[in-house]
Amino acid sequence: MAQYAIIAVIVLSIILVSLILLRPSVTTAQGGKMLAFIAFFILPIVATVFGASIHLENSKSTQFCLSCHVMEPYGKSLYRDDPAYLPAAHFQNHRIPKESACFSCHTHYTMFGDLTSKMRGLKHIYMYYLATPPPKLTLYEPFQNRECLYCHAGARSFEETTPHNAMQQQLADNSMSCITCHNKIHDVANLDKAKPWKGPAT
Amino acid sequence: MTGNASRLELSLRRSAYLLIAGLIVQGVTLIWAHPASFLLFMSLGGTLVLAGIITFLIAIVTH
Repeated sequence: MAQYAIIAVIVLSIILVSLILLRPSVTTAQGGKMLAFIAFFILPIVATVFGASIHLENSKSTQFCLSCHVMEPYGKSLYRDDPAYLPAAHFQNHRIPKESACFSCHTHYTMFGDLTSKMRGLKHIYMYYLATPPPKLTLYEPFQNRECLYCHAGARSFEETTPHNAMQQQLADNSMSCITCHNKIHDVANLDKAKPWKGPAT
Repeated sequence: MTGNASRLELSLRRSAYLLIAGLIVQGVTLIWAHPASFLLFMSLGGTLVLAGIITFLIAIVTH
């Protein structure tokens, strides 16, 4: 919705700028000067600032991540009919929002991380368009437990079950990784061996 | 006076062309959900819009 509001601002700005371009004499009157200031200064700034904010928000969407073909297998891994697939179990059971599934577990990736992560994002675009992405994709850094604990910490089903109750401290300080035990993540190399899930019955 | 007015008009035209080009880039990239669209929005669209705004400000200050 906000996206269309900004597109409307852009269209309005283009119309007003075109009007002044066709009839520059309108700027001689006081009202025309105000109109020029709004069209040439205020509206373009509004469009740029809010447009950038919308782009940033859109980049959290599952559709955005999967728009690069190298991410397709990772998207397919969300649709495996096997609860051992950790992303699939979270995605299919609404433990994470479907519309921002990737971002839910990769919160500090590219644009949302530090400067190094942002530079990696630019490198990804370079690799995508001008070079060849590596055949096997890996995370730059070990997966952090904070991504899991953001939801699971404090949950009774997590804290009162064995062996989680005995290793709270190690999980909190990351000395023991969640994926040491929950180790079937995207597993894209074996995707074809798992039965696909066709999605919810409608 | 006429020379000044025509110089202002010329600067406004330059500013308008830059702004229209930048705004069109921004509008198109807003309806395209892809990592490259954000990059184009900021690098190409943002640069053109910024150049248009600066040209406009310089025009109204100097003429």
